[in-house]
Amino acid sequence: MIENDVQERDTQKGKYVTFKSGNEYFGIKIQYVNEIIVYQEVTAIPESEDYIKGLINLRGKIIPVIDVRLRFKQPPIEYNDRTCIIVITVKSTVVGLIVEKIAEVVEIKDEDILPSPTIRHGEKVQQKYVYGIGKIGDAVKLLLDPDKLLNDEDLSLLEQASGDVSEEGE
Amino acid sequence: MAEEFNAEGMLDMYLFENTQLLERLQEIVLEQKDEECFDDDGINEIFRTMHTIKGSSGVMMFDEITKVSHKLEDVFYYLRESHPQDVPHLELVEHVLEVADFINGEMEKLQNGDSADGDATEIIASVDKFLNSIKGDKKEKEKVIKENVHEEPKQFYIAPVATSASHFYRIYLTYDPGIQLANVHAYKIVYSLKEIAEDLLYYPEDIISDESSADEIAENGFKILLQTQSSEEDLRGLIQEGYELKKVDIYECTAEEYQQGFDAVGSEIRIDLDSSVEEIEAKAQGTEGAITEQPEESKEPEKPKIPEKIAPGDFVIESKEPGKAKKLAKDKPKKGEKAAFISVDVSKMDMLMDLIGELVIAESVVLQNSDLRVPGLKLDNFNKAAGQMTKISTDLQNVIMSMRMVPLTNTFQKMNRIVFDVSRKLGKDVEFEMVGENTEVDKNIIEHISDPLMHLVRNSVDHGIESIEERQAAGKTEKGKVTLSAKTESGKVWISVQDNGAGLDREKIIAKARKQGLLDPYKLDSAYTDKEVYQFITLPGFSTNEQVTEYSGRGVGMDVVVSNLQSIGGSLEIESTPGEGSVMNMKIPLTLAIIDGIVMVVNKTSFVIETGVVKEFVGVREDMLQQDPDGQEFVMIRGEAFPVLRLGDFYHLPNYEPDLKRGMLVIIEVDKENICLLVDRLVGKQEIVVKPIPDYIKKVEGLSGCTQMGDGSIALILDPAGLLEAYSK
Amino acid sequence: MKILLAEDDFVTRKFMTNFLSKYGECDVTVDGMEAVDAFMMALEDGEPYDLVCLDIMMPVMDGYQALVGIRNLEKERNISAEDAVKVIMATALNDEKNVKMAFDLGCTVYSGKPIDQEKFEQALKKLGLIDQ
Repeated sequence: MIENDVQERDTQKGKYVTFKSGNEYFGIKIQYVNEIIVYQEVTAIPESEDYIKGLINLRGKIIPVIDVRLRFKQPPIEYNDRTCIIVITVKSTVVGLIVEKIAEVVEIKDEDILPSPTIRHGEKVQQKYVYGIGKIGDAVKLLLDPDKLLNDEDLSLLEQASGDVSEEGE
Repeated sequence: MAEEFNAEGMLDMYLFENTQLLERLQEIVLEQKDEECFDDDGINEIFRTMHTIKGSSGVMMFDEITKVSHKLEDVFYYLRESHPQDVPHLELVEHVLEVADFINGEMEKLQNGDSADGDATEIIASVDKFLNSIKGDKKEKEKVIKENVHEEPKQFYIAPVATSASHFYRIYLTYDPGIQLANVHAYKIVYSLKEIAEDLLYYPEDIISDESSADEIAENGFKILLQTQSSEEDLRGLIQEGYELKKVDIYECTAEEYQQGFDAVGSEIRIDLDSSVEEIEAKAQGTEGAITEQPEESKEPEKPKIPEKIAPGDFVIESKEPGKAKKLAKDKPKKGEKAAFISVDVSKMDMLMDLIGELVIAESVVLQNSDLRVPGLKLDNFNKAAGQMTKISTDLQNVIMSMRMVPLTNTFQKMNRIVFDVSRKLGKDVEFEMVGENTEVDKNIIEHISDPLMHLVRNSVDHGIESIEERQAAGKTEKGKVTLSAKTESGKVWISVQDNGAGLDREKIIAKARKQGLLDPYKLDSAYTDKEVYQFITLPGFSTNEQVTEYSGRGVGMDVVVSNLQSIGGSLEIESTPGEGSVMNMKIPLTLAIIDGIVMVVNKTSFVIETGVVKEFVGVREDMLQQDPDGQEFVMIRGEAFPVLRLGDFYHLPNYEPDLKRGMLVIIEVDKENICLLVDRLVGKQEIVVKPIPDYIKKVEGLSGCTQMGDGSIALILDPAGLLEAYSK
Repeated sequence: MKILLAEDDFVTRKFMTNFLSKYGECDVTVDGMEAVDAFMMALEDGEPYDLVCLDIMMPVMDGYQALVGIRNLEKERNISAEDAVKVIMATALNDEKNVKMAFDLGCTVYSGKPIDQEKFEQALKKLGLIDQ
């Protein structure tokens, strides 16, 4: 079957959707982003992690959404009319990211990306989801690895586990 | 393997016919395996089968298959002509199955596009030895019988080669519109590609003498279909973009798409137009041929339609055709009846499935619309019409679901063979019984339960059924029995594997669990119910078998069975009576579940529970709720005590304040156990489409899915059994 | 071994000639009519072909017609079945009908395209055209 976006892949290299969270700007490679929508009512799922806010109904598809601030272990803020959901697809998993404020789509050349410093204990939580730092002019965007953002085990739980004798189940 | 034959190609015909023959062969063998010997009909049929397979394999030049079927044909020829006494029957049965397995294995390779490279020498030698041994009897030697005459094939068919290393590409070349003599440029490329081409087709066809092809190419580009071992990179190296060749698009495609020429049609499934719903169900697994919808004509010249009867001269051409639509009208219904079929793109079938789900949701948006809640509004006509609409949409759902439903028969049949093999290898005598094998499940489910079922069946024979001596000692019949049964009930399919063997040893399991540290230190052994104890064996790495046999005992099986089931929303229940046997019950929901549910609200969350488990609604009053000595809440209704589960508390809903003035108690019954759910409000009863909770969200106990309500909001679907289980913990 | 090839498509013709030349001397024709003519000429010259390789879809006369023509010529001269030329039809058409008709008309080997070169050689050996 002919895939039209075979062409588009090439032209999208180096483009990132950026958003603000806390005092920093983060970026995600555009290839992962399906769409950006305004915040909408979320149905909570009981017994889930704090950053997993629940499910939304996106034109008939049921999609889980997470709150990026809570994922970064920052104090949550009230949602307002600037709040958006970035819908991403990582390895066939579709998830919405609730973010404070959307910024623009920028192009960052590979040579302008510096590797992210190694995680030291006590570093901000979001660092472990960041794989690189992109420079645009004077500004920097922290480039997120969507897979890690969605799937990495909670750092604090791991620390707890190494302290205890018995392992928690899941 | 029976699913997708394009029943016109020679190789496909060969595979189709012989697969059928071998299936029939296996049936005969298993039917008569317990007899003293094969009856005359059986011998004849087996002889004819081997003769046919030998013949067609000879033509196709599959030498090993030819030789092995030749040998077995000789055996049955001898049996037929000479009627020897005292033929070791079970040994014969094994030889037949061995040969059948070999041939099936080779055919599977061919089906996958690999070559039939198996070596049957050993099998042939052992069958030969067997034949000589039954001929060797002195009495036999005195009989004079004709030798079996074999005719060597004189004509051969060579199947076209498409090695798995072959790639199929569609190449589109776009030239600068101002280019001169584009056809010459195109020709140069064709010339350089042919070096690496296993097959090469292009359009426009005549690029050498037809000058108008130059214009055609300049305007619309040049299309090439290429089959080659080379990679896309290699191709790009050969076709270099130059200043006149503006764009080179290379798309890899599948062999089927390649065969369909320059029109792309997706892979197809076949839908019956004429038959009734029952017939559709019966054939849903079918391999019947189809009348294809002709792919849309684009700019291609008219393809030669190959007529029913062909004759020399039909294939004279004006110009060679690039790529032809392959499938012809050809019916091969199993029972010899003609049926009308239509080929439909698989993706369209999926879309149809989705749409029917959306229809149900849209229906509820209409029927529950707030616009209708005008007091005093007379809605009699409206309701009548709505009722009619609901009836039609229900029928629509049923037909569509039936298209995907497939009987378990084949899956169960496979188990027959497994029971035989395992019991033979272990020297046990085990009978196999099937009940309800015509029960139908969604196509997807069949794929997921095949392996778990196999594992459970093997377990039953290996560990459940005792050896002949043990059974005798215990006063049981020598023959053990494994029963496979299936039934549907309240939207679920129950498939169980039952054996009349030794049953599970509770003590042994508890001991092992203790060793693995799985027991609750504060719980007495006797406090564990049998059910709980048996569930231990589904944990990873848990196997109370000291010996690991070839078939089971590695302890990697049961947990995989359970997780396979869970992935389709199912579960495993184990029952057992020591000395008498065990039952493994698989409980599986029917997918594309559109269930009838009761919608309830707790706090701000909407829940749905299937109508089937709901027994009663009782308005709650504060004084009805009481506590027992353990602190568990219960309620007395008509003199009976029912435990109460406050959903809001159970799920720790934020800011939950139970409404004890207007709240409702919903009494549900699961497996004869009752429980009351405390909710704030009942919303109503409606059909809902069960959608899975996205995998990303970890499984929550008591929830089995979610759904979209008429107003776009999302409701959570409760799993009654899961709730009960979680509550009792 | 003397081989006669009938194939109308240029690219395929080059490929087949290359492929068949391994086994013997290869004469090339571009349609069914030419093939039958060439076959007859060879018979009359006393140097008949050992192997004829026919495409099915060709201009003027298709592969089946050419096959019938060749077999008729042999019948006329009372050439026995063992001495009759071996005919291989190589074509992308894979229908059972096509194969059956080919065999009925006297074709010896029916090969789908792309040609399985190993099996092709195997068939030649079975037919005694080349040594084992």
